[in-house]
This record gives sequence, structure tokens and C-alpha cells, in this order.
Amino acid sequence: MKNLLVRQVAIIVAILLLLGIAPHFLKVTQIRMLNEIAYFSLFAISFNLLFGYGGLLSFGHAAYFGLGAYTTAILLKRIAGMPLLLSIFLGGMAAAIGGAVVGFFCVRRKGGYFALLTLAFNQLIWAVAWKWRTVTGGDDGIGGFVPKSLGFGIATFDLTKTATMYYLTMTIAVVLLFLAWYLTKTPFGNTIWAVKVNQERAAFLGYDVNFSKHLIFTISSFFAGIAGSLFAVFQDFVATNVVNLLLSTEIILMTILGGTGSFFGPILGAAIFVYFSDWFSSLTDRWEFFMGALFIIVVLYFHQGAIGLIPKRLKSIFRN
Amino acid sequence: MALLEIEDLQKDFSGLKVIFGIDLRVEQGERHAIIGPNGAGKSTLFNLITGKYVPSRGKIVFKGHDITGFSPHRILHLGVARSFQITNIFRSMTIFENFRNAILSRRKMRNNLFSPLSRMGSIVEETERAISLVGLLEKRNERAGELAHGHQRAIEIGLTMAMEPELILLDEPTAGMSKGETMEMVQLIEKVTEGKTLIIVEHDMDVVFRLASRITVIYYGKVLASGPPEEIRRDPRVKDAYLGRERS
Repeated sequence: MKNLLVRQVAIIVAILLLLGIAPHFLKVTQIRMLNEIAYFSLFAISFNLLFGYGGLLSFGHAAYFGLGAYTTAILLKRIAGMPLLLSIFLGGMAAAIGGAVVGFFCVRRKGGYFALLTLAFNQLIWAVAWKWRTVTGGDDGIGGFVPKSLGFGIATFDLTKTATMYYLTMTIAVVLLFLAWYLTKTPFGNTIWAVKVNQERAAFLGYDVNFSKHLIFTISSFFAGIAGSLFAVFQDFVATNVVNLLLSTEIILMTILGGTGSFFGPILGAAIFVYFSDWFSSLTDRWEFFMGALFIIVVLYFHQGAIGLIPKRLKSIFRN
Repeated sequence: MALLEIEDLQKDFSGLKVIFGIDLRVEQGERHAIIGPNGAGKSTLFNLITGKYVPSRGKIVFKGHDITGFSPHRILHLGVARSFQITNIFRSMTIFENFRNAILSRRKMRNNLFSPLSRMGSIVEETERAISLVGLLEKRNERAGELAHGHQRAIEIGLTMAMEPELILLDEPTAGMSKGETMEMVQLIEKVTEGKTLIIVEHDMDVVFRLASRITVIYYGKVLASGPPEEIRRDPRVKDAYLGRERS
């Protein structure tokens, strides 16, 4: 037991160290790729809290990613002296509020109706982003809002450097991934699981099923919103593609690619997705075809996702 | 005041009437059996009392609170727990995890977002106590869905009892059991429900006459007769409607 804990901590420290020194060895394009993996990991984990843990398949999760991205972009653009970190946090909060409102209507519906309703709300939010040009810039988007530097009184960081941006994104992503992981280890995490396994029995054991689903929907939206904010800050540009249905399907693909049955699966999925779409698109302009083929193969033949390919002995280190 | 009072309870499912006005009183400490032929409305009555269905008319009063139309989790936390006729447990979870779900709910910790589950020693203790009540402690780490039918039925009853309810509703606890298993289940029920108020739906008359202190016969959505077991056994209407047919 003790031994296992030591090994877990050792592996996590090793990974964090590697991520910490990575910018000193990698090319700028590779750092940018790691950066993308960081926020997509957070997005995929947020989706999996809902889908893998809660059994709730949302076809409209980009809505909350987009709410976060737009909120951060608009705050930074419109309010002079808006602190960057606060704008990211408020991006998450805006997404959580959006998720709380939409979730109220969705969690009372089951299965396919739930999925369709999330999709419909996503489309609604997308339409607002597209048509409300005075605020969102419509399909021109909003750009050039990230401040040149981030100051903490004693130290100032140059945000125009790729490495600095990488450290900012990675730190926030890692902290939030830890919070999400912690959540799954609490009694509420257990509640989500119990409701997924047998909703009726849970209700007759005193679980308020709708409340639990509503709460996890809201929390998941918060994490998705922060991921969107990190995207906005990294790209320094936001347009309707952060809130469209394509992104909603891509996050489903990423999560299932990695594996929904374990906490870390979606992170692997995000990494594979980012890496392969970059690689395929450097080979051919029909790269979406190959991504589609990859996804079909995983769904048909690798039910546990990519994480299922990791040897059992290695995985047992991460159990519990 | 009775623990449970039901007045003129009615239920129809979009026009199809199933319960035609049932009155029922269950006193504290009573062991009340509900019998009747298939389709008489026994399970529907359970589903109305525990909040799965909303009554079309009538009133359900528990401990003086009008609980008519309450949702299942609210009724549960007022002290009414039920078991299901068709085993309804967390099949992909271990026995321990099944019972822990019950304990976390009873201790009102189910929405705790801040402390890790692994640090809750008292939850583990209580969970194990609840499991040992139904004699399954040595199987605590086995997956519920992979156990023998009898053991799954024991979990079904055990989860209900783990809520420490004031009123226990058991829906055909011996359904699908052999004679031997049935006798074991009866002993288990006697043990875990001792001194508690119990309503039980049951088809097996041996079980009914052994467990019940009062019997209500339901026939086509109405109460046909209600009284102590000897009285029900002698009642000619009951013989015609139910007991007699069983003998032929």
C-alpha cells in the first residue's frame, strides 16, 4: 500500500518534471502542440466527468468551452487592466452558469433526449456567437486581447514567449486536472457513479438523482469553460469554431479515443488527437478522413480506448 | 396515530385504472402482509407509497406528514425504505460498494465534494456492519451482479435495511426462490426486521402466515378484506378470490 503510493507520487513527480523542462528541449511548434494537448486534456476530462463517470452523453459540450473562451476574450478586450488570471476564472464561471441553466432542462431527460437537448442548446449558443456581431465579432471573431506581460508584483512574465504561455497553460491545466481527479475520489464522485450504475435504486436509497446530475453538469461546464479560456489566451483569437458542433463531436472523439473507463484515458485521447491531426494534416489535406478511420477502428476494436493498450502491470500502479 | 395512513388512494395510467380507492392503516410495530392475485395492484400500491408513481387521487400520510406525491428520495429520508420484486442492486459494483452507497446516503454525505472517501473510516465500519447483518461479509469484494440469486436477494433486502428505516416495504422478497432458499430468506427477514414496522407483498402463503400480524387482501385494485391472519384464513370471500384458487 505504502509502496504503491510512493510509486504513484514518483511517477507523477517525474511527469511534472518532464513537462517542466520540456520547453528547453523542444521546438516552438512542439511546445505549442503540448500547450494544445494541455487545454484539450482539460476539456476531455471535463467531458468524461459527465460521460464516463455520469453516463450522460452530451452532444453539445463545446457550448461551455465556447462560453469560457468568449467570456475571457471579451473581458480582456473590453475592460482595460482586466487581470488575466481573473478573466480565465470568470470564463470558467460563465460556463458554469451557462451549464447550470442548460443542465436544469437537460438532466430531467434520459438517453437520446438528453443528448439531443444538449445539442440543441449548443446550436442556440453558437447562433448567438455568430449573429451578435457587436459583442462577439461574428465570424470575424475577436483577436489581440492578451496582454503582453503578466505581472505578480515581484516578477513579470513575457507572454509573447511561447515557453511562458506554455507554463501558464500547463500550470492551470495541471491544477484543474488534479481538482477533477480529486472530485472523483469524494463521496459526490461516488454518487455520480452510483446514479450511473443504477439510477432507480439510487433514488430509492435517498439519492436526489436530478440534483446530482445537475451538479455534475455544472461542474463539468466549469472545467470546460476554463479549458476554453486557456484556448482563447493561447490563440489570442476567438471565433465561432470554439462553440460549434464540430468541436462538440471532436471532444467526444478525443475522449473515446483515449478511453472513458479511466480517469487518465481522455488525456491520452487528447494527446493522440492533437498529435495525429497534426501529423495527418502535414501528410495530406484529406487528413479528416484518416482521423475518422482511426476513430472507427478504436470504437470497433478497442473498447477500452488507447489506455486499454497500456500493459496491466503499469496501469495497476495508477489504480485507486 | 397510525404510522402510515392511506385514504382513498387511486391510480390510473392514462385512463387504465389500476387502484380504485384503497384505505389502509399500518400501526407502529405491525407486520402487515398484502396479498392478492397477479395484477391486483400490490406493486402499484408500493410504488405509490414510495414515490415512484404519483397518485391520481387520495392521500398518503406517514408519521403525520402528508407525503402524497413526494419524490422517492424525500420519502426515503423521512424513514420509508423499500426493496424490489425484481432484484434492483448496483450490479457492476462490489457488495461493499453497494452497501457504502446506502450508508453514505443515510449519513447525508452523498454530496460531499471536499473530503476523500478513502479517509472515512467510520463509513467503512458502518458499511461492514450492514453487510454482516445479511451474512455476506466474507464476500464483500465480489461483484454483486456475479453472485448467486439468493445472495443478490439478500443484498436487495440488506440495502433496504441499511437505511435503518422506520417503515420497511418488502416487495416479494422470496420471488424466484426454492423452498430451502425461501426459508432462509424468511429467517433473515425475521432477524433484520425484528421490532420494526413492516409491509410485505408476498405470494407464498407459508411466508405470509409466518411473518404477518395483519393481512390485507387486495383484489382488482380494492381492499377485499383486512384483519388478523386467522380471520383472513377463514374469510369466505378471500377463499373464493384467492386462497381457494391456489389450492386447486
